[in-house]
Amino acid sequence: MKKFKSIAALSVAFLMMAGMAGCGNTAGGNGGDETAANAGGDAGTSAAAGGETSSSGEIKEFTAFFAVPGNELNSDNRVQQVIAEKIGAKCKETWLTGQTAEEAIGVMIAGGEYTDFIVGSSGSTTLIDAGALIPIDQYWDNYPNVKNFYSDAEWNQIRNADGHIYIIPQFGNVYMYDTGTIHNDEAFWIQTRVLEWAGYPKIETLDEYFDVIERYIEANPTMEDGTPNIGYEILTDDWRYFCLENAPFFLDGYPNDGCCIVDETTHQAIDYNTTPTAKRYFQKLNEEYKKGIIDPETFTLNYDQYIAKLSSGRVCGMVDQHWNFQDAENAIKQQGLDNCTYVPVGVVIDKGIEERYHSESALDATGGIGITVSCDDVEGAMKFLNDLLDPEILTLRNWGQEGIDYLVDENGLFYRNEEMRKNAVDQSYINANMCPYSYFPNYEGMNHDGINACNANNQPSEFFEALPEPVKKCFEAYGVQTYTQMLNPSRENSPWFPMWSYSNAFTTETPWGLAKVNMDEVKHEYLPKVVISDDFESAWDEYLKVYNERCDTEAYLNALTEEVQRRIDVAQGS
Amino acid sequence: MGNPFNAEKKQGISLKQIKNQKVLILLSIPFIIYVIIFCYVPLGGWIMAFQNFKPKLGLLHSQFVGLDKFKFLFSNDQFLKVIRNTLAMGVINLVLGTVTAILFAILLSEFRFIKGKKLVQTISYLPHFLSWVIVTGIVFDVLSTENGIVNELLVNLHIIDKPFNFLADPKLFWWIVGFANVWKETGWNSIIYLAAITSISPDLYEAASIDGAGRLAKIWHITLPGIKPTFFILLIMNIGNVLNAGFEVQYLLGNGLVQSVSQTIDIYVLKYGISQADYSLGTAAGIFKSVVSLILIVIANQLAKKMGEEHLF
Repeated sequence: MKKFKSIAALSVAFLMMAGMAGCGNTAGGNGGDETAANAGGDAGTSAAAGGETSSSGEIKEFTAFFAVPGNELNSDNRVQQVIAEKIGAKCKETWLTGQTAEEAIGVMIAGGEYTDFIVGSSGSTTLIDAGALIPIDQYWDNYPNVKNFYSDAEWNQIRNADGHIYIIPQFGNVYMYDTGTIHNDEAFWIQTRVLEWAGYPKIETLDEYFDVIERYIEANPTMEDGTPNIGYEILTDDWRYFCLENAPFFLDGYPNDGCCIVDETTHQAIDYNTTPTAKRYFQKLNEEYKKGIIDPETFTLNYDQYIAKLSSGRVCGMVDQHWNFQDAENAIKQQGLDNCTYVPVGVVIDKGIEERYHSESALDATGGIGITVSCDDVEGAMKFLNDLLDPEILTLRNWGQEGIDYLVDENGLFYRNEEMRKNAVDQSYINANMCPYSYFPNYEGMNHDGINACNANNQPSEFFEALPEPVKKCFEAYGVQTYTQMLNPSRENSPWFPMWSYSNAFTTETPWGLAKVNMDEVKHEYLPKVVISDDFESAWDEYLKVYNERCDTEAYLNALTEEVQRRIDVAQGS
Repeated sequence: MGNPFNAEKKQGISLKQIKNQKVLILLSIPFIIYVIIFCYVPLGGWIMAFQNFKPKLGLLHSQFVGLDKFKFLFSNDQFLKVIRNTLAMGVINLVLGTVTAILFAILLSEFRFIKGKKLVQTISYLPHFLSWVIVTGIVFDVLSTENGIVNELLVNLHIIDKPFNFLADPKLFWWIVGFANVWKETGWNSIIYLAAITSISPDLYEAASIDGAGRLAKIWHITLPGIKPTFFILLIMNIGNVLNAGFEVQYLLGNGLVQSVSQTIDIYVLKYGISQADYSLGTAAGIFKSVVSLILIVIANQLAKKMGEEHLF
């Protein structure tokens, strides 16, 4: 009897333990929901207070979720406070952590509660389809800064099939002209110390690129403090595996359409995953892996570990998007390892191919910021967007406060002193003081005063002053002034560019969407296998076999070709 | 007083019994409400699996598609693969977890030095409270090819001549997950066995000593049979949990090279159900998981019953 009782008690105890564990898991899985729910609550209270804002000078607080990685600002951020006092509103921003954009957005939609503002990134279309966003064009008449942010023709590109506008693309809107100092996109990157050691050679092809790194590693196996140098790093963590897989179209001299190559004359979409160039590229990686130039644990690193490795300054080169490793570069600068920062090189497969790594800012009509149905104060939110585009506020967002973050000379030209420049790459300083509202609509190119660039990085005088000494020397050796000049000047964008803004919206409901998921899955598994294989040829054949078996590339390419044609037609106004 | 666990004496519940136990009944009400709200009400969402669910249209207006989503699942060889992975890791976790927990509980109970016993017990269950994010971070560090302790050890003992990247080998992944689970949960899982051992009457041990039984004989003939009922109850419940082989640990430890063995049903649901916004497909996969779990529990329970062991129902 007693035994049975104790067993019963035990099992109850166990059940409760299991129950608690269950709760813990659910809470973890729905982290996004909770923030959303809180956000909803906050919005409610702030909206309630909103009625008396103008009279009592109270500050409205909005919430925003951005499905992209970013840095959370401190709650007492200085410039954010200044802006809030001027426009009577602020926004608490949260960013993507440890998830993909689709996962975060998918969870939010399933929960049905959102932040006031949302940037869905590659989940934008899903948000619109789920009815999560309010049509901005029904509210914008009183908010000229928003309405005039794009021309009518551009708004028409953004317009959803139902005739409404749900999102405002934040990027690619150039005011006056682009000073173009930074290459923020993808390229083969290489440390200036490697180039300096090699005597600043002209690097044009993939072979030359790896040759320089190989020789450097042979001569300099370790850093000054004795930690071993790493020749080349490839990030393959989840959606960031573009660092491995999309180089072939760049090597062939095509711009970053992301999902395919588009033939300039026939307007056909071409699969870059199986081209002869792709094979040569992966064969090269395979050779370098065997030689030990590529980090042996590169394919098992997650994003944080990758950034940590880069931040140590040990990694000579990699393919990446600049925005993806900017944090690492700031960390390198902060440690004073100035000769370990990176410059882009426009590598192609064979000499004579013209590289197109740098593209002009293009309007991405399928991604942008939207106001959600959870927002109780849509007019207030529209006013916030409108106020953020005010010239005075734009300067605060992009440059900071005059006298603290930048100085003005007698000609009205902004500049910074040594300390301000140092602060500008110090992440903890940035989080406490600067408030760029970086995923709210913003202008690129020039400031509205017509004298200065939109921000310090793009101000030619300021940009050059802030460059680390080794980078200046490198630029001098190559006879260039900016990062972008390390690459070919951008050409005018084709009317269909960028195709990734279309393929990002695919879902598994369509055959081409399913094909894309399968392609991603196969590539994610087999491309690393190809690189680390002892027998390249058989690994490559196996990759092709599985790829052709599992992926309906025909449906995929047909869908893309159709979209190319559609975009050409739209551009021609028919 | 009737024993609720004893089937033979089962009879109708009289009003008197209810009166006598009203405090107990009142105490259980909150839990019943909890279970209804959080476990039964959400089952209504299962209807999604038979629709082509669109968040905009909602449950009421989405189009019904019958068993299409299930057909897609079972024609998708990825799904068959994740079932295999989930089952394999679930079984590995179950076996390793149970064996280590029992061994550890017996070792602890044989510990004579009380303070040391308490200390070991406390330290051993602490990892349970760490989140998987931290635990996988430790696993990464331990298995790293750069200064990872396992590789350092193997290289210095000349078992291998250069560091081996354990996480890149698909054959090892299940075992890495299994042992990470053991490290994290052994202490915690052993608590319940330890409690069972404590409740064994000391008279039995004394009698055995008088009969000349040594330590091992006492463990074999008294401790193990003493915890057998606990073992079976837990086994039945855990078998129902086999398909909950985990989500976080595989999600965090996995990478492209091992994805064909690392993805579990939960990751599949996340990938297709949430990321691709095909909530119906995710629900269908979830239903499949629940149904299989239920079947497993019933089978395990019937087996235990047949063998004349402790069982749940």
